Amino acid sequence: MQLFPCPFCGPREESEFHYGGEAGNLRPDGSEVTAERWAGYLHMRDNPKGPTREIWVHLTCGEFFAMSRDSVNHKVSGSSVLGEAEHGA
Amino acid sequence: MRNLAEKWPAAPDFATATLSKGSVSVRTLGGLNQLLVSGDLAAWSKASGLAGEGVGAGAIANGNKYMVRIARDRVLAVGGQPFPIVAGWHAAGFAVTVMDAGLHVFEIEGPGLDRLIARGTALDPGAASRSASILFAGAGVLFYRFGDSDRARLHVDRGLAPYLWEWFEQAQVL
Repeated sequence: MQLFPCPFCGPREESEFHYGGEAGNLRPDGSEVTAERWAGYLHMRDNPKGPTREIWVHLTCGEFFAMSRDSVNHKVSGSSVLGEAEHGA
Repeated sequence: MRNLAEKWPAAPDFATATLSKGSVSVRTLGGLNQLLVSGDLAAWSKASGLAGEGVGAGAIANGNKYMVRIARDRVLAVGGQPFPIVAGWHAAGFAVTVMDAGLHVFEIEGPGLDRLIARGTALDPGAASRSASILFAGAGVLFYRFGDSDRARLHVDRGLAPYLWEWFEQAQVL
């Protein structure tokens, strides 16, 4: 059982969390968005090996947040409250 | 036609059902008034007169009325008497929902409480957590202690109460 740090609740068991995607993949906005840009948003992922920054949601308290972890050794280096940029607002 | 209800054990009469094994007992706590409050919690505190941010997971609540913290913008107000606050949206910036019938409350008491909690969740019993909302035996519950460290209350969606009761019945630590 791995513990993940919710910015509001603190360390909780991993089964209380759900993956929300890579951080920084913002939803395109406007009528001028090209098909390539939409395809990139929907289908193309960096899938990094090593340090990565991801969006997660803590299901019990409903907090969406960014978590930095390593995709190779699964070590979590921290988590932070989402700013507007990462909400895609 | 097959009676599919036979596939599950019948739910007990929660008004009288008590589990008592070893050093822990479990029973249902009826009659509590429960209000789910969402939105501006400072405005809620001002309107209700309930101060503080509410107890988190494993913390000790006291008194005839208190608050249980769920999320950054959500608490459950619990009281022995009805709250003088009407349900619905309040212009001050918060919404109130009556949860009396929505959440079933179990009270667990005894010196073996910590062993039962450790069986149901990986929550660190020595660390504070701002939210009382946890996953317990796979079900979402609000968990806090009441009065002293050997008595806990679990609020669970009413539909999951029979499942949780069955889990208590089968828990090896009870």
